[in-house]
Amino acid sequence: MTLVWRFLPLTLVMVVLIGLPPLLDVGLQNVMVNVLIAALFATAFNLLIGQGGMLSFGHAAFYGVGAFAVMHLLVAIERGGLDFPTPLLPLAGAVAGMVVGLFTGYFATIRSGVYFALVTLALAEMLHALAPHWEGLFGGEAGISSMRMPWGGINFGQVIEVYYLTLAWVVIAFGLLYAYTRTPMGRLTLALRDNEERLRFMGYNVHATKVVVFTLSATFAGLAGGLLAFSNEQANYQLFEVHISAQVLLHTFVGGSTVFFGPAIGAVIFTIFAHVIGDITRSWMLYQGVIFILVVLFVPHGIGGVLTEHLRLRTHIPWRRIGRPYAIAATAALLITAASVMIIEFLEALFSPRYFAARRQVDMGFPPFERFGYVWEPFSVLTWLLPLVLGIVGLFLLLRVRHQVAELWSEARESAAAQGRPAP
Amino acid sequence: MLEFILVSTLNGVVYGLLLFMVSAGLTLIFGMMGVLNFAHASFYMLGAYIAYTVTRHIDFWVGLLVAPVLVAMIGVLVERYLLRRVHSHGHAHELLLTFGLAFIFEELVKLFYGDFPVNYAMPDHLRFAAFTIFDADYPFYRVFIGLVAIAMFVALYLLLSRTRVGLVVRAAERLPVMAEALSHNVPLVFMGVFGVGAGLAGLAGAVAGAFFPTNPNMALELGIIVFVVVVVGGLGSLAGSLVASLMIGVFSSFAVGLDWSLAGLLSYVGLGEWARAVGGLFTLTLSSISGTVPYLLMLIVLLVRPAGLMGERN
Repeated sequence: MTLVWRFLPLTLVMVVLIGLPPLLDVGLQNVMVNVLIAALFATAFNLLIGQGGMLSFGHAAFYGVGAFAVMHLLVAIERGGLDFPTPLLPLAGAVAGMVVGLFTGYFATIRSGVYFALVTLALAEMLHALAPHWEGLFGGEAGISSMRMPWGGINFGQVIEVYYLTLAWVVIAFGLLYAYTRTPMGRLTLALRDNEERLRFMGYNVHATKVVVFTLSATFAGLAGGLLAFSNEQANYQLFEVHISAQVLLHTFVGGSTVFFGPAIGAVIFTIFAHVIGDITRSWMLYQGVIFILVVLFVPHGIGGVLTEHLRLRTHIPWRRIGRPYAIAATAALLITAASVMIIEFLEALFSPRYFAARRQVDMGFPPFERFGYVWEPFSVLTWLLPLVLGIVGLFLLLRVRHQVAELWSEARESAAAQGRPAP
Repeated sequence: MLEFILVSTLNGVVYGLLLFMVSAGLTLIFGMMGVLNFAHASFYMLGAYIAYTVTRHIDFWVGLLVAPVLVAMIGVLVERYLLRRVHSHGHAHELLLTFGLAFIFEELVKLFYGDFPVNYAMPDHLRFAAFTIFDADYPFYRVFIGLVAIAMFVALYLLLSRTRVGLVVRAAERLPVMAEALSHNVPLVFMGVFGVGAGLAGLAGAVAGAFFPTNPNMALELGIIVFVVVVVGGLGSLAGSLVASLMIGVFSSFAVGLDWSLAGLLSYVGLGEWARAVGGLFTLTLSSISGTVPYLLMLIVLLVRPAGLMGERN
């Protein structure tokens, strides 16, 4: 029973990952490739922050380096006739990530905390400032582009072929990363996060351990970058941007950095959302930022943390009694989200250049605008009262059930503790 | 050559003073609370945009007054209702929170003002030449930026070293627990310092935004340089960040005009041809990689002397 429980979700995910893509169109297949890459990148990043306790603000450096390594190899194969098995190309990204990670990690890990974060930030920014000017290595501002060459009967021209290769690499990488957490070294990594001082007292070489963790994280980040380059057939200096480092940070923390699969969950959700919502609204980045802040404020362990906590206490939670408050809370969340989205979208519509152009036509008056398929008057009470009421009702409901949920949860925790299962 | 040196030095000093205006608040906040505020440069941007809005509807000088006050209020709210909540989760969460805030501020600015530069310009009565050097007019507004920064530094210095408020602030910075035991309201002091720091950045934005471009990227562009300044000067040291600001300001203004390269340097020992043939790093000119040098400087300082030029603690 427990064995089935443990492997059921994983098997389901694998079935979806293998079976779904052929049914999708090319655009969505491409999204799936990006989802896989983002999941790998976030998990590699989490090895450093979630397990090792080192907050890096410059992981884009290794991502980008991995991408450029693969591009150089692609160029060498295409123009120089180098004979290299195409499926192994992403490895070049991993190797490049490892080499750069080892070198920079040696220096970065001399410092810890805020100073470590600043060193990594400076490293990535240096590459970002240097790359557009370094024609030979980074292809200047235009970057490098090339073509995947056919190999072994597969021509890698279709997205689905790229997808399955990416899937293979990502599964291997996840396997290795998970296996790592089970090794003594993996345990040591956790100790590094929890109590570095103690580790030092026990005679471990803390700096060397940190360098190993850093290098591993950089290696898998490089692999993710390599896969991206393999899929896009191009790389440019924008891969080193702060936004890339920020994105992976967001994925990791919203997903939950204390759980192995948490960052991957965050990456999957955000990448799919970005694709779906990014087309509809221009404020997607704003929503992303708000979600991130809310998670940092109220859910410090992220989605993954909440899920595992439910799983851990599944026999102690009074499911029957908690159902109603949960449903009310979900409704409240929905109402608040609707209200916030309405207000943001209204503002977006009113401050957009398009609306300004419309105002010009009516002598700088305030013509009605269209959003969500309806026409709204900018100064009518209804336009603003509707989201306001929705938001207030939602907030009221949320505040009302908050204590109920908290009470039921503390009951569950107590009953678990009584049975000798304290919080981890 | 003399003209180049003189003009570059002047521009560099002014730019450095501007950097100082922004970094002063950041270094104070770090010194006191240990919070590295990623959203600090966003306060600079908000200052510029608020001043732009006020200038458009009322007047430039009113904007110069209103912007820092409003930004300081935003800073106070951020400290009181957001930062303080995550304080118990540790520094990593504070870092992440300000990081997310920087993100949101940028997107909000894009929402209201669009993803392009706005036309925030100085008023015409400030648009004249301060003096003439080598037949070129030197704009008065640059001098004005420098003067505002100097006035700010003097005021800050006097406030911290000569008044009772400054005394409490310094005590709260050095030994917060002891200051609290002596019945000073340390959280209130923190909130105040955060607000004042944000306000200073807002003032810098209001002043500089009228001269340099005001766009949604300005926070990101300046933000990382400000980190460099604060780190190089020593986290928590006002005087250190003044020196570092001037250094980096003068350096960047010189580097833009110099086409020195490693190959050029090597040609003095007869290796110029070889280096040019190798290419790559050797032929990059100083002007094209000037953006890298501050980061390199920051790396070296962090690795060799993390306390910075004038910091006392690690």
